[in-house]
Amino acid sequence: MSTWLPNDDRPGADSDAGSLRSRAWDRFRFARQTYSRVVPEVGPVAYLFIAPFFILFTLFLAFPIAYTLYLSFFRYEGVSGDRWFWVDLGPIFVEVPQIAELQFVGFGNYVRILGDGLFWQSMFNTTYILAIQVPIMIGLALALAIALNASFLRFKGFFRTAIAIPVSANIVAYSTVFLLLFNEQFGLVNYALATIGAEPIAWLRSEFWARKTIIAAVTWRWTGYNMIILLAGLQNIPQQLYEAAEIDGASRIEKFRYVTLPQLKPVLLFVVVLSTIGTFKLFAEPYVITGGGPTNATITIVQYIYREAFQSWNLGYASALTVIFVAIVSVISVIQIRIGGDN
Amino acid sequence: MREQRRKDAVWRFLTYTFVLTATVVMLVPLYWMVVAASLPQELFIEFPPRLYPGTSFFENFTALQERANFVRSIGNSVFIAVVYTVISILLCSMAGFAFAKYEFRFKEPIFYVILATLVLPIQLLVIPLFLMMSQIGWTDTFRAIILPWLANPIGIFLMRQNMQSIPDALLESARMDGATEFQLFYRIALPAMRSSVAALAIILFLFQWDLFLYPLVILEDAANYTIPVALAGLEGTQRVYYDQIMVATSLAIIPLAILFLFLQKQFVSGILAGSLKE
Amino acid sequence: MSGITLTDLTKVYDSGAESVVAVEDLSLSIEDGEFLVLVGPSGCGKSTTLRCIAGLEDVTEGSIQFGEQTVTDYSASERDIAMVFQNYALYPHMTVRQNIGFGLKLSTSLPSAEIDQKVDAVAGMLGITELLDDKPKELSGGQQQRVALGRAIVREPSAFLMDEPLSNLDAKLRAEMRTELQELQANLGVTTIYVTHDQTEAMAMGDRIAVMNGGVLQQVGPPEDLYRHPVNEFVADFIGSPSINLLDATVQSGTLSGPGGFTYTLDDSGSIEGYERVRVGVRPEDITLVDDGENTAIVNVVEPMGNENFCYMELGDVEITARVLPSHRPAAGDAVPFSFPEEAVYLFDPDTGEALKTKTDEATDVAISA
Repeated sequence: MSTWLPNDDRPGADSDAGSLRSRAWDRFRFARQTYSRVVPEVGPVAYLFIAPFFILFTLFLAFPIAYTLYLSFFRYEGVSGDRWFWVDLGPIFVEVPQIAELQFVGFGNYVRILGDGLFWQSMFNTTYILAIQVPIMIGLALALAIALNASFLRFKGFFRTAIAIPVSANIVAYSTVFLLLFNEQFGLVNYALATIGAEPIAWLRSEFWARKTIIAAVTWRWTGYNMIILLAGLQNIPQQLYEAAEIDGASRIEKFRYVTLPQLKPVLLFVVVLSTIGTFKLFAEPYVITGGGPTNATITIVQYIYREAFQSWNLGYASALTVIFVAIVSVISVIQIRIGGDN
Repeated sequence: MREQRRKDAVWRFLTYTFVLTATVVMLVPLYWMVVAASLPQELFIEFPPRLYPGTSFFENFTALQERANFVRSIGNSVFIAVVYTVISILLCSMAGFAFAKYEFRFKEPIFYVILATLVLPIQLLVIPLFLMMSQIGWTDTFRAIILPWLANPIGIFLMRQNMQSIPDALLESARMDGATEFQLFYRIALPAMRSSVAALAIILFLFQWDLFLYPLVILEDAANYTIPVALAGLEGTQRVYYDQIMVATSLAIIPLAILFLFLQKQFVSGILAGSLKE
Repeated sequence: MSGITLTDLTKVYDSGAESVVAVEDLSLSIEDGEFLVLVGPSGCGKSTTLRCIAGLEDVTEGSIQFGEQTVTDYSASERDIAMVFQNYALYPHMTVRQNIGFGLKLSTSLPSAEIDQKVDAVAGMLGITELLDDKPKELSGGQQQRVALGRAIVREPSAFLMDEPLSNLDAKLRAEMRTELQELQANLGVTTIYVTHDQTEAMAMGDRIAVMNGGVLQQVGPPEDLYRHPVNEFVADFIGSPSINLLDATVQSGTLSGPGGFTYTLDDSGSIEGYERVRVGVRPEDITLVDDGENTAIVNVVEPMGNENFCYMELGDVEITARVLPSHRPAAGDAVPFSFPEEAVYLFDPDTGEALKTKTDEATDVAISA
C-alpha cells in the first residue's frame, strides 16, 4: 500500500501528530475497532437485531393477548402460589408460577354478557357518544382544514398552531379542566350562557347534558389532530385539478364536491376509522369528568371493563368483556375500510 | 365581476370568522386554566368567574406540593416517558432496520404477526399484564410501566417503512469502508433517519405520557404516581381544592404545549406518521 | 497494487423455485494499473460481476484473485478496494470531510491527524477543499461525484471499482468528468474496473473493454479491436454509434442477395465457403452515396448533425443508416444509390452469430472519423 498520499511514518511523527485529546480519542477508536470484529456477518446478525424487540413482543404482547382469551373462560379466584411449570436440570432449576387461581366456567362469562344490562348500557353510551361526536368532529376538522388551506388566509401558522395545540394536552389533565369548565355553579360555560341570557345548565347531573359534555371535551382534544391529517391530505391534491375545474366553470361548492371530496376520500375514510376506534376506546374522559354517571349514562365499555376487573375483581368476566370489545373494534375498522372501497 | 368580488369578500369574512372562533374555543380552556390556577379558591368559585389572572399561583402551588407532591409525579412521568422513548426507539429501529435491509428465514411471517397486533387496542393487555406483574411482584414499579410497551408495533412498522428508503449502496459503501453490521445501523442508518426518529420519538413519548388506565392499575404508592394517576387522585379526595387542581393541570399541560410550539414540525410529522398505521 | 484475475466466475441467484444465472463461467484477467471497462446492455451481468469482485455478492462458483492472493471468501472490507456507486452513496448526515475520512477512521489505525492530512490532500487533488465542511445535500451533482471519488482515492486501494459513476450527470459534465477520471486514473496508476451500459463511454475511457451479454463474456480487447474485429454479431452491433447495419442475405457463388433487391458480389468469398445464408454488416460510415452505387435504398429521414449527416434509409424491410458528408442532403422518399468497399464488410454466421469476416482495410483512422 502507501502510494500517492502523505504518509506520516517518519519516526516521532506521532508525538506531534495530534493533541492529547485527539490521541485519547484515537485510542478509544482503535479499541472499538477491535471489539466490533466480534459481531457476526450479514446473515445471522438480523436475528440479533430483532431479538430484543421480539422477546419483549412475545412476552408482553403476544402472550397477554392469548392469556386474555384463555382467562375469559375462567372465573378468577385470587392470586395463585402454585407452579405452572418447572424445569429441573440438577443445578439449574427454573420455575414459572401459575399466574392466577382459576375456575373453569366454559362459555359462562360470555353467556352472562348477553344478559348483562350494564354492559348493554355501556355499549349504548359508547355508540351514542360516537354517533354524535365523530361526525361533528370530522366535519369541523374538514372545515378548518379547508379554511386553513385557502390561499387568501393570512397568519396560517398561528391559526394552525392554536387549533392544534390540544394535541399536546395530557388526557387526564384536559379532562380535569373540562370538569371545571362545565361546573354548574362557577364553570365558564354556564357563565357564557348567562351573559347571553340563557339559564345555567346542570351539565353533569343530567343524562342528556353529561353525554354532551363528554362529546364537547373529546371534540376539543381531537379536532386539531384530525385537522392536521386532513390538511396534509388537502395539500396532496394537485393544484392543476382545481385549475382545470375553474376553467370548466366550477363554482366553489362544485370544486369541493367534484375535486376535493373524491381526492380526499381515502384520507377522510382513514380519519373516520381512526376517530371511531379512538372514541370507542374512551376511558379517561368519562372516568374523570362524569365518573360514568349520572346513573351510568356515560359509562363506556372500557370503563365498565375497568370496573368489573379492578373494582369488582371479576377478572375472568372482564376478560370476556375485553374479547368482545376487541372483536367489535376490529370489525368496525374492517367494515369501514370495506365501505371505503378503492383500496 | 362585481358580483363575484362581493361573493369572495363574504366568503373571506366567513372563513376568518370561523377560523377565529375555532382558535378562541381552543385557547380559552387553556387560558382559563391558567387564570384559575392563579386565583385563591374563594375567588375561583365566585360567580361570575374572574377572567384575568390573580397572584396566588405560588401559594396554590405550595399548597398542592404539601398535599400531594405533584412535582414528584411530574418527575416520574418525565423519567418514565424519556427512558421508555429512548429504549423503544432503539429496539424498534433496530428491528425495523433488520426487516427493511436483511433477508432471513421467517422474515415475512414474523413481520405480519407483529403488524396484525397493530389494530388491537392496548386496553386488551391491561388485565393479563396486571396479573403477570402481580405474580412477579412488579406492581408499583416503573419497569412494570415501561417494559410492556417497549416492543411497539407502530414503532417497528414506521422504522421499517423509513429504513427501506435508505439506498442499499449507502450500506454497501459503508461495508466496504470497513463498517460492521452494527456500525451500519448506528453510524449510517440511524443518523440518516434522524427526522423519522424524531417523529417516532414524539409518538412514543406522547403514548407513554398519556397512558392512564394501565398505570392506574399498576401503581399503588402515591410517590410513584405518574401525572395522570396523580391528577385523578387529586380529584378524589374529600374536599376538592379546585385552585390546586388547576395548578396541577397547568403544570401538566403548559410545558408540553410550549414544547409543541417549538417542535411543531416534528409533532406534525409524528401525528401523520403515527396515524398512518393502517 | 496488483492485477485482478477472475477464473470461471459464476453467480446464480436462487430465489426459491427459480434460479437465475447472472454471470456464467467468466474468466478475465486485468493487468496491474489497467483501466478496464465492463460494458453490456442492462441485465447482462456486468454489475453483478463488479459486485462479486467488490465482495458485495457471494460467488457461486469460481475464484477471484488479487495479484497472487485468492480473495473469493474475503469480505468487502478485507479486499483493499474502493468502489464508486452510481448514486454516489454519500453518507447524508456527514460532512464531506467525514465522508471521505470514514473508511480510514473505521478500518485503519492511522491517527486522526494523519487521516485529516490525507483527506486534505485528496480534497486538494480533486479541487473540493472549500467544500469539506458542507453536507452532501448542499453539493451539486458534479461535486458529489468528486466527493465519491475522493472517498475511494483516500483509501489508497489496490483497485477502484466504479459502477456507472457518471450516469447521473448531465451530458456536458459527463464528458468533462470522463476526461478527468481518465487523467486521475492514469496519474494514480491504480487498476480500475469501470461498469457502464454506454458503449461511447466505454470506447472513450477503456484501455480494454470487456463486452458482456446474458451473463456471458463476449469479447475482451482494446476499443479499436472490438470495433474492427468483433468476435460475433452481438459485439459488432453493440459497439459503435450509430450501430452497424445488419441484414440477412443468401449466398450464391460469392454473390450476396438480400432484401429490397440488395446484391453484392464478393471478390474473395473464402470466408463463407459452404454457407447458404449469412448475416451482412456494414458500418454507417463505410456507406457512401454515389451515383454509380450498385444498390439503391429509399431515404426516410436525414438528421443533420452539423459536421455530418445521418441518413436513414429503407432497404426492403430493413432500415440502414449512412453517415455522410453534410453536403449530402437527399430528400425523404428519394431513391439513392449507395456503395461500400469489400474491406469494410462484416459477415456473420446466421445461426451462431459468430464473425466470419471482419474489417480488412488498413486505413484505420480514416474509417472511424469519416
